[in-house]
Amino acid sequence: MADELTYEPEGVTEGPEHVPATMTQKRLNDDLLKMISKPGIWWWVILAIDLVILSLGMIAERTQIYYGIGVAGHTRPVMWASYVTNFVFWVGIAHCGTLVSAILFLFRSHFRRAVYRVAEAMTVFGVLTAGLFPILHLGRPWFPYWLFPYPTQRQIWPNFRSPLEWDVFAVTTYLTVSSIFFLVGIIPDAAAARDRQKNPFLRLLLTIFSFGWTGSNNQWKHFYGAYLYFAALATPLVLSVHSVVSWDFAMAQVPGWHSTIFAPYFVAGAIFSGVALVINLLIPIRWGFKLQHIVTQDHIEKLSKLVLLTSTIVAYSYLAEFFCAWYGPNRFERDMFWYRFTGHFWWAGWIMFTCNVIIPLLLWFKNVRRHNPTLFVIMLFVNIGMWFERFVIIVGSLSHPFNPSTWDVNYKMSWAEAAILAGSFAWFGLFFLIFVRVLPAFSVAEIKETLPAPMRRKAS
Amino acid sequence: MIKALGRLIDKLLEGPPQKHRGVMGIFYYVDDVTGAVQALRQSGHGPVSVFSPVPHHDIERALDQGPSLVRWVTAVGGVLGITGGFALCIYSVYSYPLVVGGKELVSLPPFVVIGYESMILLAALSNLVGMLALARLPALKHKAPYDPRFSEDKIGVWVPCSGEVATRVQETMRGHGAEEVQVHA
Repeated sequence: MADELTYEPEGVTEGPEHVPATMTQKRLNDDLLKMISKPGIWWWVILAIDLVILSLGMIAERTQIYYGIGVAGHTRPVMWASYVTNFVFWVGIAHCGTLVSAILFLFRSHFRRAVYRVAEAMTVFGVLTAGLFPILHLGRPWFPYWLFPYPTQRQIWPNFRSPLEWDVFAVTTYLTVSSIFFLVGIIPDAAAARDRQKNPFLRLLLTIFSFGWTGSNNQWKHFYGAYLYFAALATPLVLSVHSVVSWDFAMAQVPGWHSTIFAPYFVAGAIFSGVALVINLLIPIRWGFKLQHIVTQDHIEKLSKLVLLTSTIVAYSYLAEFFCAWYGPNRFERDMFWYRFTGHFWWAGWIMFTCNVIIPLLLWFKNVRRHNPTLFVIMLFVNIGMWFERFVIIVGSLSHPFNPSTWDVNYKMSWAEAAILAGSFAWFGLFFLIFVRVLPAFSVAEIKETLPAPMRRKAS
Repeated sequence: MIKALGRLIDKLLEGPPQKHRGVMGIFYYVDDVTGAVQALRQSGHGPVSVFSPVPHHDIERALDQGPSLVRWVTAVGGVLGITGGFALCIYSVYSYPLVVGGKELVSLPPFVVIGYESMILLAALSNLVGMLALARLPALKHKAPYDPRFSEDKIGVWVPCSGEVATRVQETMRGHGAEEVQVHA
């Protein structure tokens, strides 16, 4: 089937929603649902590499549980370091899915239809990865339930005035709502996949995910009735979650943290890194599964424009922070911002600025936006830059506090932290690799909606 | 062993045979479906159900479908969520009164975050429950015979009926361009 298609051929007219005019509903099912099949050799090779990296992370975590949190390179005054950086990084990654699926749904940006399922999956797996880090960072990671409010005989409740407790509510709500949104969206597509699946085990799985969907008018009515409200609820949620994460820092009086710009700045940064990772995932997926006629270059270009937009917001935030530090009366704040680019971690500051502000400027050129290898590399840089942004904010600010006597003591990442960071990518990758093989990674029903409805009396 | 398990799953998924009485018309064109639905409803046959791979506004109009009631369930969940969020915070500070950082026991601004997140959580959960209940999901038994082509590119129109009525329904469907009409008796 795939061989018959000429990908992005010259002269093929595309509809307003980018799908080639020759596409039919049946062919769309064939092209998209063939992904759920027996995996090829490359899938197993990638899975094996992924499992090796994951095992390294698990060995590191086992060592940390056995010997204690001292295995990490935390040193006074830097007691929040790579784990909190990873937490913020992965929560940020998780933001793009809801942006693409919910916010663009409300704005009726139809280009989202071809890409949103991948972004939503990334959201759910991103939050699952992010959620690990506060637990790994606990001295006794078997007590994470202490974070939740539950009635005890001693009437001990969490401190609801603490931003860390707000985080518990925000992140668990986000995980629940984004998982529901993701799984509800899959129902009609799982039914389509179920109807053609021959493997009994996969058919059982798809039957469970399809909830016995038949596509009746009653089911569609309530499905879309609810979908609109999921989108309407997820939109304020996505904006609130990263705002709450930013308040973990902004509510403290540490120079470099105590800033009102943090909430919008973090939200823009989250979308920036999330969309970049979606592009990094979509480019190999559309190439590997030969889906260039469904996820077209136009879709990729639109996403890269979103990266460009959020990059300018992030750049503006950096400059506004610097300006306020220079113009404002707080000398500690001024000193901190000078330290970020000239102090002990100067290299991290410059990696952040180069990757997030300078390299994305290339996206102003249309040729770059339409050249996938270049785009892939730029998006990798964006994510490296965004990891370092969180590193600069967290480690940079903590390593240079009010008391100068602690300034010489500086944090060094330990092997365990590096292995756990690598393991987190493998953990995320494991979910993603399984997902593309067992569930519809593209929304068959929604892409089908972009095709013109078959009408016998077209003209009338 | 795996093959035997596979056969067992196949049998399980197939389920017991279900008996349906009525006529199922299979269409390709959307305007044929709307014509058939309107004609069937005008001649008093019903209730008419339509099965389609994607929803169509024309079919919704022909069936005279109102908006989904799920929004009311969602609204109730949202109100319960925000009330519950604030109530939890206020109850907890009074049940163990401990002044932290010189702040009021009932400090409303930080509680807004808990109330807000709880509102979204409960609204989303009730949206889900409302959708599943109203759409009758998960559906273990189907009210009409299901055809796998409905998830591909065909549209099914089902009218539960029998006897002479079934013949008339069958004629109406064929007259409106049904590609195939199945009578289940």
